[in-house]
Amino acid sequence: MNVTTNTPALVRQTLAGEVWPPLGDRHVYRTGPDGQAFALPGMGGMTLGVHCGDPATGYASDHLEPGASVRHRDPGANMALQFLTCVGNAVRVETGPAAGAVGHVIGQHAYVLVDFGRPVAERVTTGDAVTVTAVGQGLVLPDHPGIVVKNCAPGLLARMPGGTRPDGRLGVHVTARIPAEAVGAGAGMVSEYANTDLMGAYAGLGDDLSLGLEGLRIGDLVAVADADHRFGRGYRPGFLTIGVISTGQCMLFGHGPGPSSLMSGPAEAFALVDDPDANLASWLHGDAEPGQ
Amino acid sequence: MSAAEAAGGGGLRAVAVNMLGVVEHPSLGDTPYRVDADGHPYLPVGDGGLVLGVRLGDPVSALAGDHVAPGACLVHPDPAARLALVSYACLGNEVEVRTGRAAGAHGAVIGKRGEDGRLITGFRQEDLARLRPGDEVTVRASGQGWRPPGVPPGAVVMNAGPGLLDALPVSWPGHGPLTVGVRMILPSKVAGNGIGRPAAAWDLDLQLTAGAGGATPAGGAAGVAGAAAGDGRPPGTDGLLLGDLVAVTDLDARHNMGYRRGWLTVGVVVHGTSPLPGHGPGITPLLTGPASALSAAADATGHTGLTESGVGLQ
Repeated sequence: MNVTTNTPALVRQTLAGEVWPPLGDRHVYRTGPDGQAFALPGMGGMTLGVHCGDPATGYASDHLEPGASVRHRDPGANMALQFLTCVGNAVRVETGPAAGAVGHVIGQHAYVLVDFGRPVAERVTTGDAVTVTAVGQGLVLPDHPGIVVKNCAPGLLARMPGGTRPDGRLGVHVTARIPAEAVGAGAGMVSEYANTDLMGAYAGLGDDLSLGLEGLRIGDLVAVADADHRFGRGYRPGFLTIGVISTGQCMLFGHGPGPSSLMSGPAEAFALVDDPDANLASWLHGDAEPGQ
Repeated sequence: MSAAEAAGGGGLRAVAVNMLGVVEHPSLGDTPYRVDADGHPYLPVGDGGLVLGVRLGDPVSALAGDHVAPGACLVHPDPAARLALVSYACLGNEVEVRTGRAAGAHGAVIGKRGEDGRLITGFRQEDLARLRPGDEVTVRASGQGWRPPGVPPGAVVMNAGPGLLDALPVSWPGHGPLTVGVRMILPSKVAGNGIGRPAAAWDLDLQLTAGAGGATPAGGAAGVAGAAAGDGRPPGTDGLLLGDLVAVTDLDARHNMGYRRGWLTVGVVVHGTSPLPGHGPGITPLLTGPASALSAAADATGHTGLTESGVGLQ
């Protein structure tokens, strides 16, 4: 992205985590939109077969977290890991048969979500230790004072198309524009943690549930209308939030594929460009430590 | 409750359970500040615990606090028991203080809050003044999952104690949809914290702007505040009172709360505004259903919802 940043001032920190197991309880089932009981995998662990560029929905899954779901065992250290890690940060596997392999962060969802290449992903499992090189929180665009950037690695920003326009707006490429009606669970939460579930993308369920979002892909950049995520996540007419779809299929009602927040500000500060290639897969694959 | 009332519209009788609630003490972390939607720090006052001088019928916007509820919030020291207390107790249920200087005082459940769970209970002001955090309160929980008589097929009742609907502007002529009088009808996009969560244990925060906001329906005819009024401004908090009934369009609250076109959810306003983004005055859902089974009539100036007399506090 052709934009002036404060990247030289940013601090890099080495953080530790481990691939966290999926969690259940003895009642097993949760409840879908029509009251249907379900027990579906997707959250926690090392989820295979879904990567950036793949469809977000259409799986027999709930809260689908592509790749590795990473936490830290200590609650305070975990919140630091979740808050400080940014989309695009490099993650190295430290233990197990995939030790030494490097992937990248694609978002947050109460876990740090890490996409590895397919051959690496096959060899990563629950309990494997990983190292995150966290950099990006504190990123500022001096020429765009109304826009707050968060959860975005400077290396990722550098590789994204768009940038400062002659009229002063920030050009951002997105694959989809999300109506405010779609915002589900995650509203009211802090915007450095977890993501914003989008309703209206329950592939295979009733038309009265659809908001036309069944075409979203993992890694898509999207623009959420009337959303102010500068200091949390709230409905605010006239504001806009740019996010990256980091989670997929949900059966739990009021939940769905979710963008992790990257930028937020007044809508007039942005110039959106509809671009079907605006996906992390276009910018992060093939480079172990993008732009860093 | 008469025998006919005891056996509700589903043919099953409501069960009552005595539960233990403890008057909550407010809790803060190492820093006093939270951050509002514009990035400014503020100290949350009145977010849980025991609040004096705030009553059903007070304007939600008149309070310099965060999620201020009228009366005493009850919790339980065991997290699972706390969630059960909030899930099973219903609005209108009777409560009685067991310990402390207010022992013997009677009150009523007038709302719920989500996340960790808080049961909002109303008392006469002279009784509230004698309550203290840590006091034990018996909650006569009854009504959850029970179907009252006089509700059309398709409409679902939740969080309502037996008899509560009789104290509210709810009517069903025996055919067509159940009709509920409300202060305002809001579009689902103002639904904030609470969306995607179970309506039996969470309230739904309404993301309303402070002040007048968009034009609201003049009264009588149903319409959606702000968005449908056509002036482009979002709906505001002016005129909204604690205890008011509010309808949210395209919202299905039977299980988790979520978007479903053509559905309607009606709840009672249980707490005031919040500076936090994504938060605002909260409703505890009471009724949800498709348009064929549930409709709302907005009256911006003449509406009366849940009142102190309606739950026996006067």
